[in-house]
Amino acid sequence: MSPFTEDELKKNVHEGYIVESPEEMTEGYRKALVVQLTVQADTELMSAPAYWMAARYAPSTNTQVSAHAIIQDELAHANIGYRLLEDIGESKQHLVYGRQPHEFKHPYGFDQPLDNWAELVVANGFFDRAGICLLSDVFQNTSYGPLKRALVKVDMEETFHLRHGEVWMRRLTKAGGEAKDLVQRAVDWMFPMTIEWFGLPDALKRHSGQLGYKLKALTNDQLRQTWMASTVPLCEQLGLNAPAHWDEQRGEYVLEYPFPCQYDVADKRWAFDAGEISWDDVFKRWKGRGPMNEIYVESIQRSRGDVGRWLNGKVA
Amino acid sequence: MIEITYDVFARKNRGDQLSHVGYVDALDDETAKVHAWTTYSEENWFEMCVVQRSQIIPVNRDDGPFVKARGGPE
Repeated sequence: MSPFTEDELKKNVHEGYIVESPEEMTEGYRKALVVQLTVQADTELMSAPAYWMAARYAPSTNTQVSAHAIIQDELAHANIGYRLLEDIGESKQHLVYGRQPHEFKHPYGFDQPLDNWAELVVANGFFDRAGICLLSDVFQNTSYGPLKRALVKVDMEETFHLRHGEVWMRRLTKAGGEAKDLVQRAVDWMFPMTIEWFGLPDALKRHSGQLGYKLKALTNDQLRQTWMASTVPLCEQLGLNAPAHWDEQRGEYVLEYPFPCQYDVADKRWAFDAGEISWDDVFKRWKGRGPMNEIYVESIQRSRGDVGRWLNGKVA
Repeated sequence: MIEITYDVFARKNRGDQLSHVGYVDALDDETAKVHAWTTYSEENWFEMCVVQRSQIIPVNRDDGPFVKARGGPE
């Protein structure tokens, strides 16, 4: 039973109070934290099979080691998220092994196949950058002490993933020809994919529990701007076309295509010409999950039952 | 599978404090050592130890955040 009412806790955390254990939490705080940690852990977990299946395109053994080091980090980050959830009363066993593929809460971007080395490194450059934007905000502002401490490691390692992505994007674009074309092709579908990842525009968003309980501080639109502020200049520097630019008058980055818009999964193309769609359509697409959802989740869950059966009794 | 929760403590340099850096689930102590070393690989640690969470004993209070967050004293 929390010693605080919802309003008292909201006031306290905004004045600097750090929550350390479940019994200090109100039901509203706990629920908002569970949602935040589940999205965070599921995203880290599902990036692992996506990157793992793409790592086979690594051009050398050393490169493959780097790609696998990133996968190792992502799984460790997922472990942190699920353990934090367990400490507030959720079951890691259920969350990782007991859910159906469509029940995971990761973004739609990690339901997509990464089909060549260029796509893997742009994913590191774009998706991991999105992760850093989201988690740096949480790290700097969260009122939940155990999460803040855990994110020291996550922040450090995500920066390495981003560097890996950027170094390789630079190398491939510098080579020109087919290499640069492949990077541009990856940018064409992954840039809008990441923009969409940050969710509903602020004007349409209902009250956020995560902001109210100071589990983060920046809004969806602010995070989208933070991501573009580093991604758009990077693309310009590398001679890659990104569908956004800095608008002097508005003092912010603006998109050069209708947002949100339709996505052709099979062709990996955004239908800019078809015009703007509603967010209900986007939610419908997200809920239907992407082409790799079942394959990625199955790759995580498949051996748990067998090995568990072999070991039960011997280790109890 | 019946896994045990372990807390992980480490220090980066001689002279640093041994700090709580995280937690792993493992089948036994030997596996926990491997899991801890590979899971918390962000530093080249000078020293790392693991302890079964159930073996942590509160000293001055049973309602401290560290113990409470871990399901309270045994």
